[in-house]
Amino acid sequence: MNEPLELSRVLAIIAPMLAIQLVLAVIALALCAKAEQTRGPKWMWILIILFLNVVGPIAFFIAGRRNEA
Amino acid sequence: MRTASLPVYLVMVQKELLELVRSFKLLWVPLVFVLLGIMQPVSIYYMPLLLESAGNLPDGTVIDIPMPLGSEVLAQTLRQFGTLGMLILALASMGVVSGERNSGAASLILVKPVSTLSYIGSKWTSMLLLTWGSLSAGYLASWYYTGLLIGEVAPGEVLGSLLAYGLWLSFATTMTLLFGTMLRSPAAAAFSSLGLSAALSLLSGLFPKQLGWNPGALSGYAYQLAADGVRNPDKLWWAVSATALLIALALAASAALLGRSPAVD
Repeated sequence: MNEPLELSRVLAIIAPMLAIQLVLAVIALALCAKAEQTRGPKWMWILIILFLNVVGPIAFFIAGRRNEA
Repeated sequence: MRTASLPVYLVMVQKELLELVRSFKLLWVPLVFVLLGIMQPVSIYYMPLLLESAGNLPDGTVIDIPMPLGSEVLAQTLRQFGTLGMLILALASMGVVSGERNSGAASLILVKPVSTLSYIGSKWTSMLLLTWGSLSAGYLASWYYTGLLIGEVAPGEVLGSLLAYGLWLSFATTMTLLFGTMLRSPAAAAFSSLGLSAALSLLSGLFPKQLGWNPGALSGYAYQLAADGVRNPDKLWWAVSATALLIALALAASAALLGRSPAVD
């Protein structure tokens, strides 16, 4: 509690957030690769997922998939 | 010709749950809520350090930000859920009726002996499951982090604010369902329900005496429950009952609307 900048502590605090971002990106990439058709070119979505943190995968989940009910 | 409606409803709920799993909504929406929930206490914990390293402050500037109470951080987390979280929930569930309607799947289903009420009810059940699941996951994650980094919060306060806020989000989700049945475009449905929710909570903030019973006031009660206890519990119960009533009315209205025009002409 007293030493917020200690490296192991920073890592322990940040790691779960990084892990969630990674999981989101991986799911989005897998779905994007598997999808027969995306709304807009596929390579564009891959770039969006890879380079926009958190927002990219969410945008793909909401808007990228064509055959979603 | 109507068969018993409960088994039909249960089958429809199963279909909706499968849909939730297949579209990965049951995974990504809670993950985003957990991320939002963790971010709040962590950013508050590191705020002084970030200011120190990022700002071009002259040497010797003393930054002394008092560390907020754990319960205040939880209330801020709920505010995050109320803006970004609500946006994500609305966007994730805006197309559930209008999508099936535009593609013709809704009329195919409703040709079978499925009442519009069990159709709408099954959609609603799955949307509520998503809402409550995401909110609880995110809020519990935030509680855990707040306890570790900032200060303990009693479980009773957490539970009370979680229930009040969950009811508020349920109301917003139900409105998304209602507008999704009413309007043809999913985006219009999402933004009408967001607009209505924003207007209601603004109104209840402006006129707490006159409008303290409306669903929009629930978010405020949730912040109070997390932070320092509700000031007027009578109003809270009025708001809870009014919200439950409005949710029931909205469901009936959606079913009636769907029955009038199951397919888009």
